[in-house]
Amino acid sequence: MKVRDDSSAKWFKLLAYVVVILGCIFCVLPFLLILSGSFSSNESLITSGYHFLPRDFTLDGYKIIFELPQEILRAYGVTIFTTVVGTTTGLFLMTMAGYVLQRKDFKSRNFFSFFIYFTTLFGGGLVPWYLLMTKYLKFGDSYYALIFPGLMTPFLIILMRSFIKSTIPDEIVESSKIDGAGDFKIYYRIVLPLSLPGIATVGLFLALNYWNDWFSSALFINDSSKFQLQFYLYNIMNTASFLATFGGGGVSLSGGVPTESMKMAMSIVVIGPILFLYPFIQRYFVKGLTIGAVKG
Amino acid sequence: MQMYKKTSKWLGLAIILSMLIVALAACSGNKNNNETAATNPAPASTESATAPATPEGLDISKHVNLEFWMLGDAPRDLKKVQDEINKMAEEDLNVTVKFNFTTWTDWDQKYKLMLSTGQPVDLIFTADWTQYQSYAKMGAFLPLDDLLPKAGLKLQELVPQNMWDAVRINGKIYTVPATYKEYVTNGFVWREDLRKKYNLPKPVDVPSFEAYLEGIKKNEANIQPVAIGAGVQDSLQNMLLEIARNEVGQVPYGMFATYDDPTNMTSYWGSPEQLEDLKLFKKWMDKGYFSKNVLNEQNIIQMDKIINGTAASMFGDNPNRFNEILTKMKAAHPDWELEYYPFPLTKGYATPVHPIHNGFAIPKASKNPERALAFYEKMVTDKRYNLLTQYGFEGVNYKVENGYYETIGEESASGFPREGMHGWAWRNPEYMLFPASYDGVNAIFKELDKIEKPDIYTGFAENYTEYQAERAALEQVAKQYLWPLIAGRIDDVEDGLKTFMSKANQAGLEKVQEEYKKQWLAYLQEQGIK
Amino acid sequence: MRLISGFFQDLAKNKVLVLMLLPTIVFFLINNYSPMVGVYYAFIQFDFNSGLFDAPFVGFQNFEFLWKSGKLLELTANTLGYNVVFIFLGNGLSILVAILLSEVGGKWFKKISQSVLFLPYFVSFVVLSVIVFNLFNYERGVLNTVVKSLGMEPIDIYGQPNLWIAIIIIFYLWKNVGYSMVIYFAAITGISDDYYEAAKIDGANMFQRARHITLPMLKSTFVILLLFALGSIMKGQFDLFYQLVGNNGLLFSTTDILDTYVYRSLRVTFDFGMATAAGVYQSIFGFILIITVNGIIRRLNRDYSLF
Repeated sequence: MKVRDDSSAKWFKLLAYVVVILGCIFCVLPFLLILSGSFSSNESLITSGYHFLPRDFTLDGYKIIFELPQEILRAYGVTIFTTVVGTTTGLFLMTMAGYVLQRKDFKSRNFFSFFIYFTTLFGGGLVPWYLLMTKYLKFGDSYYALIFPGLMTPFLIILMRSFIKSTIPDEIVESSKIDGAGDFKIYYRIVLPLSLPGIATVGLFLALNYWNDWFSSALFINDSSKFQLQFYLYNIMNTASFLATFGGGGVSLSGGVPTESMKMAMSIVVIGPILFLYPFIQRYFVKGLTIGAVKG
Repeated sequence: MQMYKKTSKWLGLAIILSMLIVALAACSGNKNNNETAATNPAPASTESATAPATPEGLDISKHVNLEFWMLGDAPRDLKKVQDEINKMAEEDLNVTVKFNFTTWTDWDQKYKLMLSTGQPVDLIFTADWTQYQSYAKMGAFLPLDDLLPKAGLKLQELVPQNMWDAVRINGKIYTVPATYKEYVTNGFVWREDLRKKYNLPKPVDVPSFEAYLEGIKKNEANIQPVAIGAGVQDSLQNMLLEIARNEVGQVPYGMFATYDDPTNMTSYWGSPEQLEDLKLFKKWMDKGYFSKNVLNEQNIIQMDKIINGTAASMFGDNPNRFNEILTKMKAAHPDWELEYYPFPLTKGYATPVHPIHNGFAIPKASKNPERALAFYEKMVTDKRYNLLTQYGFEGVNYKVENGYYETIGEESASGFPREGMHGWAWRNPEYMLFPASYDGVNAIFKELDKIEKPDIYTGFAENYTEYQAERAALEQVAKQYLWPLIAGRIDDVEDGLKTFMSKANQAGLEKVQEEYKKQWLAYLQEQGIK
Repeated sequence: MRLISGFFQDLAKNKVLVLMLLPTIVFFLINNYSPMVGVYYAFIQFDFNSGLFDAPFVGFQNFEFLWKSGKLLELTANTLGYNVVFIFLGNGLSILVAILLSEVGGKWFKKISQSVLFLPYFVSFVVLSVIVFNLFNYERGVLNTVVKSLGMEPIDIYGQPNLWIAIIIIFYLWKNVGYSMVIYFAAITGISDDYYEAAKIDGANMFQRARHITLPMLKSTFVILLLFALGSIMKGQFDLFYQLVGNNGLLFSTTDILDTYVYRSLRVTFDFGMATAAGVYQSIFGFILIITVNGIIRRLNRDYSLF
């Protein structure tokens, strides 16, 4: 019996390595083009295209982006701030919601699930939302506009609900209740520590949402010191596409136009820091947080 | 089964609840609409009651703050300029102003949103390419006719009467036009050093341009003869219509009229002329004058291609942009030469930009239209305001040497580059400063001045409410069936054109064209153009 | 009536739970429900002089542009087709990779490969479009350079609409598998080791364990991803299609979806009515689908349904 298991495990592992390595190569190749593009001169990109190693190594793409380091550093700061505040707040609210929505003895849970899910189906469109944010909530030009709209998404709440449901057996909640623990205490003492992989996943996704957000800046922020990083870079690129569309109409702008190599450098600049988040999150993807450990 | 029943009950409850919420929101929304409607005219009436404004004088007893909106990105030193302007404006008009910029990301979306949700905006940029005509027609701006003598007398005198008349929409003035005269007409751009090297003809019309392309193709295997932008309708078709067919303007929906005979408007789409033109483009593509994949190329590369030397010419670009490309190319390759030949010299007439091209309007939601106009007058007519908002601080951001403007320091790092606030609309020819590199453009303009004729097309404001659906559908049909034809990607041109026409007709082309023509003729009659 | 009083009784019974849920409810009421009044834009003729409720009511006029071009059917089919492929291929691949990844040993290998698989998610579509163009363009593309060096005729990829079905699907998977893989990976991590130990004792080999323990445990996660994907089956992936295909009409027959169509059609017109109308069409489609599918899932297994 043991032998059989071993041989199957060996094949399985071999298959696993092959597939994972192939997948990694497939993912990394285009990325290498971007990386090498960011270190190439714009001229060589246009005349001879992209290569896995830069034809003539140069830092020009990065130089333009960091020409005024205080601006991009501030944009980094804004993004880090909104990501941290938004993710912690959102995570707190969503874990609570996910916990409540999976409680079997809470009869209205399906109603509220539907209430939340419904918002993914229907939306009023941009105009009323814009009015709400600027006129009624008065979030224009403030950090609230960058944090508030992304606090929770139906998808992440339901995902949280499912993670909790699959890791916390109903019996634990039942027995804790019999022991006299209140609903909040069960959430705080049992559910939170046990759902760490789920929380880490949802937290990662929420953080990514904040990190990648540029739309809130585009709509609600006028003060350039409050631009998020993605928007700051995206906007530089958009100047180029604007010129392409309207330059022919006689609109003249001073200053440089971003180049191919700069675009590549920008995407590297955006990816850099958030990549470090992932290994950090991985710490929570560990088995062994078994039920017995907590109960005992 | 039972469970299923329960779901539907929950569903019912949810729907009731959401409807309730919507209804509640609707009520509050409605209330607010009424509120704004009620408060809007109020200030005007109280003002006239407490301090009757004399025709010449402006009541400036109350301090107000103005929201000023411009497109694009703010210069870095905006805050300093704003503070300086506010010192002056506070004293002159008892106002302060906040300069806001939309950035270039989604600016059109933001522009739409601000105007349609009644944001408190006091002054906003207008142009033909921001759809001034449509917005004005739909009531987004305040008419300035009565306001001008009250709060903008100097402006009213500065801008010539024919320009005021040219920006009228339905008989009313909705924007303050810029008085600086420029040309954004197109012209051939080509590498002169290569032309000399291979003894090619100078491109002045389509046949000579073709000969030039042929020569480049034959002699330079690695250089693309002409750089064409991905928006082929503009970069190929409209260029050709401008140089070879004297089109009155860039008329939409495939309609066509010449400048000399504007009342005779016919359909270019589906005509023998279009077939001929499409065959020409096909020929260019087949011969490899431009990329087979032009539809997927990003436009901006077009300029880069000239600068890098991967392409030898452009079918058409305006004098300003030519100058920009020239400067950049010279910086990278001092031994190359670039030449320009304006289409108007071949056509025999040149139309300067229409007054609608650059202007400032006061949106309907403005609470202080009088003060806004008075402030804008300062921006245009007061030299201190004008220079500061166009060029920044003298000695810090720029200097004037031998009468030429010069940026201090690196241009891309400047806190306030030339026209850093994109002040195209409040340019005042009397105070304008030009860099030395601009001499070439001014020389072209001077030449074009000799054959100047007015733009008779841009003043026309189309009202498309009648055929909105068809218009939107046509937009797609053109991209799907016409653009590949223009890009030379359909083997059988005749057949391709037939397919396009049948799809376009199905989308309602005839209705759109008919209605458009009717409006156009009415406009011509109203303007007395024959 | 009984239902409503029962509902409030339930709320009263679970005060703490309701309190814990309250911020979420308030958030969605404000941020999502209150703007829903804007759906009405789909039925009015927008202008600047009148508000939402005193503008003229035009019925379904704003919806007309959807079928005027005669493309509504094709667009709906394309959108549905792509999304169905995305859902099944995307989830299938993610599950496969997640299971395999959970079995490979080596702490560093595991960590690094996970990060690498996640990498494409960060690449913006704008940049991706540049890369794709450089891979496939006719004159200087990487692919054609190779083809030419082999002495063959270059391939005109940007003129082959059928090829783009594959290209788009591949780049969708490239960008998204890493992301949804993480969800499944976290779910697998959440499975108690006790199950596997027990199976081992029963003599199940690794394939059997994957088939009989891991897969069933991932079912509820899959169902959630499925239901969310179905609800927005008429929307989504605008950037993927728009950036890769752009305005190349040659490829529209196989690559045009509702979102790109609406974007192209309305770019020149500033009409909120028509934009909202398109959204309503997409929503209603998703709504009907989701109610049906959720109902079916609920009948099969109550625990898996969304609501």
